Amino acid sequence: MLRLIARRFGLMMLIMFVVTLLLFLANEADPLRVARSVLGPYAQPEQLDLWIQQNGYDRSLAIRYLDWIGRLLVGDLGQSVIYKRPVGEIFWTRLANTGILAGITFVIMVLLALVLGVLAGMAEGSPRDRFISVLSIATTSVPEYASAVILMAIFVFWLGWLPGTSSMMAGFSWIEMVLPVSVLVLYGFGYIARMTRASMAEVMTTHYIRTAVLKGLPYKHIILKHALRNALIAPFTVIMLQINWLLSGVVVTEYAFGYKGFGALLLEAALRRDIYVIEACGVAAVFVAVFTQTLGDLGYTYLNPRIRFK
Amino acid sequence: MSEKKILSREKRYLLPSERALGAETHAYLPELCDQLQQNKIGRRDFLRQACLLGMTATTAYAMADVLTGQSPTPVRSALAATPKGGGTIKVSMRVQRMDDPATYDWTEMSNQTRHILEYVTRTRSDNVTVPYLAKSWEASDDLKTWVFHLQDGVKWSNGDEFTSEDVAAAVTRWLDPATGSSNLGLFDAMVEEYDTGKMKDGKKVMGKRGIAGAIEVVDKHTIKFNLKKAALAMPENFYNYPTAITHRGFGKDYAADLSKNPIGTHAYEMTSFGVGERCILKRARDWWGGPLYLDEIHYYDHGEDTNAWVAAMASNQVDMIFRVPNDAVETLKRLPHVVLHEASTAQTAVMRFRVSEKPFDNKKLRQAVAACMDHEEILKVAFRGLGQVAENHHVWQGHPEYAKLPPLKRDVDKAKKLLAEAGYANGVDLTIAVGDTDGAWMTSACSVFKQQCAPAGINVNINKMPANQYWEIWDKAPWGYTTWTHRALGTMVLSLGYRAGVPWNESNYNNPDFDKALDVAEATLDVEERRKKVAVCEQLLQDDAVIPQPFWRSVYKATNKKVHGFKTHPTLYHQFEQVWMEG
Repeated sequence: MLRLIARRFGLMMLIMFVVTLLLFLANEADPLRVARSVLGPYAQPEQLDLWIQQNGYDRSLAIRYLDWIGRLLVGDLGQSVIYKRPVGEIFWTRLANTGILAGITFVIMVLLALVLGVLAGMAEGSPRDRFISVLSIATTSVPEYASAVILMAIFVFWLGWLPGTSSMMAGFSWIEMVLPVSVLVLYGFGYIARMTRASMAEVMTTHYIRTAVLKGLPYKHIILKHALRNALIAPFTVIMLQINWLLSGVVVTEYAFGYKGFGALLLEAALRRDIYVIEACGVAAVFVAVFTQTLGDLGYTYLNPRIRFK
Repeated sequence: MSEKKILSREKRYLLPSERALGAETHAYLPELCDQLQQNKIGRRDFLRQACLLGMTATTAYAMADVLTGQSPTPVRSALAATPKGGGTIKVSMRVQRMDDPATYDWTEMSNQTRHILEYVTRTRSDNVTVPYLAKSWEASDDLKTWVFHLQDGVKWSNGDEFTSEDVAAAVTRWLDPATGSSNLGLFDAMVEEYDTGKMKDGKKVMGKRGIAGAIEVVDKHTIKFNLKKAALAMPENFYNYPTAITHRGFGKDYAADLSKNPIGTHAYEMTSFGVGERCILKRARDWWGGPLYLDEIHYYDHGEDTNAWVAAMASNQVDMIFRVPNDAVETLKRLPHVVLHEASTAQTAVMRFRVSEKPFDNKKLRQAVAACMDHEEILKVAFRGLGQVAENHHVWQGHPEYAKLPPLKRDVDKAKKLLAEAGYANGVDLTIAVGDTDGAWMTSACSVFKQQCAPAGINVNINKMPANQYWEIWDKAPWGYTTWTHRALGTMVLSLGYRAGVPWNESNYNNPDFDKALDVAEATLDVEERRKKVAVCEQLLQDDAVIPQPFWRSVYKATNKKVHGFKTHPTLYHQFEQVWMEG
């Protein structure tokens, strides 16, 4: 098991190295482009040359890459072109904001998906199963940008019940969380519910469940004690995948509701070529993706009794 | 009756009422009065010119009344309402950096500081430039010397007195190449080229800097500008977004960062600020310019998505949105608590050719492409008809010197003939770069034009790219669709964009006849005469087919019905001094 952990983390480091190299090459290979991004489209050639010299962009690519990695490791993420502040000052706040949105969404989405998935999988083919399956497929099929507009049209423009944006102008507000969380839950729960249903349905047909039923155990006891643990192994990986999606995949939702999160920061940086923010966000997003996948793999190995190391 | 009598130019004398109002301020004013009386110029042109020549706004409006017999003036009707003091206006607008106002490159930045810092002049929402920190000004007859008389009794928020030293320090900073201000190009008449002492590709690297002696402090409240050439638009140039007047110590005694050193002459002070989040201004003292009604001005950033701005307006989270996207006009019209404000403007986008690059160095080819354009159809389809048709010469119908040329009509046969003469009898493939820098309508406009070109054998490929990528190639792409903002005078934009060798000449147009005609136009104060000179420029741009230009855009703002006294500015500048909130 220790060897597996070491191997997984080794692979993780390799992926991170490749990703940082690609990010660096895409953003900083051409010093003139970097200078243009920082000084703006109207900067004169002599200003660009001066900036390149003053900021060490006349050094070789390899030296600059190592320098950048070194600064990254000690938490120096550079200076944002748009915000004119150290990237670190904005980055962590935005990451925390997305953490709040993702956390609330995650709890609601996973609970809802598991309950519905189990309810559907317990009685495969029943009207309840059909209803939950259709609902899950329908909500997952509607992309976030569409459901955001639909929910906004209903609850903001038509009924006037909810605020149209979630920028927390006057501090944190639960009511402003309703629409973005709803959009994310609607999009995300269906997939987990479907996976849980399939897994549950499979477990329910196994011999040991049949034996338990024939033994006369209470149905509730069979579901909670025997079926659920085994049924949750497959959805576990999917749930871990959702953490990654909730961090870097919420761009559309944050953008639609003006939520000041990590996704909106990344999008804005990309639109305005704020290269140091793009790099910081890129590294963070990939790290979370790789890390959660590693945890998912290790967790799956631990939960599944058929995989054991001697 | 006698006051309205039309007087001959030779025997022109000033009526007692005109004299009492100050018609002797400049030698050209009597001529201007004649032109208004004889309907040769419009009321708005008269107001603009009179203020430009140093007459106060109140006097100019009053004189226009006397000369035309019209009453009441817009000023009076605006003041006729009964404003209530107090309240907060909440505006949805991008909150951007607030460091050095001389380096601002977005209108939003200037709006954040517009109620902290002030300007020498002010262009009102009716496109007339009036006194502001300068109470009046005079220009020499050759328009090479400008004297500005500044307001007395204006104090900075740190207690210092506002003097001509402040204006001199600010203008000196703008003209210092180290500041990196776009004002260096704007005040070209005070700028010289110099040898930087560096070499590049075997050539000397030349730089630009302010001319020594161009700025002259006459006394505590008088400042003189000595220009190397005639400049008609000095007052207008002083109300550009990067021309806010900062304290004399800004960038010298303390860091050039307004968010850290918010010293201003206006009555508001910044209490909370975060880029991408919010900018909160509170009234901290009385305003030297008169009464103010709003206690607080709040700017909130709702991101890039224009739907979010509209949703914030719909759910009463804000009282105003900075700009209404054209696809949201109909939605906002249906909201009962919202008022839409429209302003016709000279904001536009031009499908400019880089005339020095193949294949667009072929004039016949350019003319063939331009002949395919149905301006009205593009306006209707791509921009829902919310603007005015343009005429391929970048002078707007609302500019005082606009000269009407024969209308342009789509002519596919002419285009085919020109294409054959250009050497492309079997058709041609062309690519236009578009970055949607101002919205998706830009790609739509290109798509419509693509259809219009097809029958002539011109196949237009649309190279769509992200906005930031377009700004990297806006002055390099052989053919591109670039947005241009509103400017008060037609000569201003012609000078910025089409004069040979200027930094923003994205088409690389180089026509000595054009430059000569523009020089003459810029040195002509008489609007009628200037119109004749500008007509030459317009015709040259049309004939040389430099910029197929489909339309001028109207801009819209939306406010809650409880907001009063607000007028949309053509460049979306915020002037909230007369704004008040109901309830």
